[in-house]
Amino acid sequence: MAKLLIFMTLVSLLPLLSCSFSSENPTDRRILVLLDDFAIKSSHSIFFKSLQTQGFELDFKLADDPKLTLQRYGQYLYDGMILFSPTIERFGGVLDLAAILDFVDSGHDLIVSADASASDLIRDIATECGVEFDEDPAAMVIDHTSYAVSETEGDHTLIASDDFIQSDAILGKKIMEAPVLFQGVGHTLNPANGLVLKVLSASPSAFSANPKSKLSTPPSLTGSAISLVSVVQARNNARILISGSLSLFSNRLLRSGVQKAGSSIRLERSGNEQFVTELSKWVFHERGHLKAVNVRHHKVGETDEPAIYRINDVVEYSVEMYEWSGTSWVPYIADDVQMQFYMMSPYVLKTLSTDQKGHYFSSFKVPDVYGVFQFKVEYNRLGYTSLSLSKQIPVRPFKHNEYERFITTAFPYYGASFSTMAGFFIFTIVYLYNK
Amino acid sequence: MARTTTKDAQALIQSFRSAYAATPTNLKIIDIYVIFAISTALIQVVYMAIVGSFPFNSFLSGVLSCVGTAVLAVCLRIQVNKENKEFKDLPPERAFADFVLSNLVLHLVIMNFLG
Repeated sequence: MAKLLIFMTLVSLLPLLSCSFSSENPTDRRILVLLDDFAIKSSHSIFFKSLQTQGFELDFKLADDPKLTLQRYGQYLYDGMILFSPTIERFGGVLDLAAILDFVDSGHDLIVSADASASDLIRDIATECGVEFDEDPAAMVIDHTSYAVSETEGDHTLIASDDFIQSDAILGKKIMEAPVLFQGVGHTLNPANGLVLKVLSASPSAFSANPKSKLSTPPSLTGSAISLVSVVQARNNARILISGSLSLFSNRLLRSGVQKAGSSIRLERSGNEQFVTELSKWVFHERGHLKAVNVRHHKVGETDEPAIYRINDVVEYSVEMYEWSGTSWVPYIADDVQMQFYMMSPYVLKTLSTDQKGHYFSSFKVPDVYGVFQFKVEYNRLGYTSLSLSKQIPVRPFKHNEYERFITTAFPYYGASFSTMAGFFIFTIVYLYNK
Repeated sequence: MARTTTKDAQALIQSFRSAYAATPTNLKIIDIYVIFAISTALIQVVYMAIVGSFPFNSFLSGVLSCVGTAVLAVCLRIQVNKENKEFKDLPPERAFADFVLSNLVLHLVIMNFLG
């Protein structure tokens, strides 16, 4: 009897095993952390501890561990990856550049950090993601007017930057309290690339050069075009964070105070901790993840969805949008969701009205064109997952019995035909009885 | 020169009038009927040019009824005219019966196409 009871409780707990990363819970769970050596694990312990308290399971491995693998039996073992191994030349096990790119292409998230002596492999990963590091391997970002005042670092490679991207989704609702300390390499973004964003830019007086040698030619990367930390949101909504400095995440900079050169205010804590925590929440899909469900369309006055519409019908379209709050789906509230009634080009473009509870709806008249249309919602906003919904519906012209029985504009023709018949009748009488 | 052309036109109209007075009455009746039908057709065409051809089938039906019955009347006139050597042996009753039956078919088609 007791055995049966134990067996029953164990069996009833089995469904909980399927509650790992699924579309019902978009936040990543299991994260692989690749390190150059385990000293990084302790020198960055505050960052890792904050991730673990948020609920992520971190799996620390050396980057050249020969047993490294991302997949088993076709399933990925991890939902996200952190690469804190800037000097690794070749990964161990089955990992290589192509494997990491496949990992991202299948929708998983990535944090990559380069540093002062980044290897070619890390640079290649960054290039594939749309970000170009400075070609000179010894170059670091130097800023003589916006450096962080400190007793030890005298070559102005430790810089304090507060040029953040303006996005509540990426950096959270609270404004950054203090500048962020950074010491590492800079990178630039291709301006034609629409998917990559600069989260932390350098000040206009920054440049990228080797701090130990004299400048012989003007530096190639200068000013605000240098990005210190960038993010990429791919079209499959995978998020990648690329940072030029590993010490950005380290305990030393997280705990240190910051004073920007030229200002006399010394802040007790740098903005690093708030910055990396909020950013990692965004990268691992704890914030800024949208879903749209329950797309419905029907004729005004009816409730079920017809298979075909007629021209000049009045149609109502509705959709519900939710945002992941980290623990549950809450209604997403915005006033700029638009819907198109589209066939090669949008015939109708309407901004959906909302009831402030995540339900978006609108009604419109089907245009006087027949064909196969689509209800399209394309929603791309900074920091949010891109939504692309489309539902196909054909539109037919009037049937013969849907016109008015007697068309007003045709009355003269009706009159002419009947008058001809009457004329014919009168003519026959007159003709026959004429002497 | 202008005076002679007007004088010529007047002379032409005079001769036409005097010749036409000699035609038999039944032919004159047919002529009136043809004129009535053609003018109705012209009115419809002008109306369509103004308003547009929305129920095109109704327009075609109206014009066809006028033009068709005019054509049939002209055929009747040809067959009934005693001065026409070609139809000397055709009894006029036969011509009139053809006219009536064709008109019946025409108007049946018109009613169907009118919409």
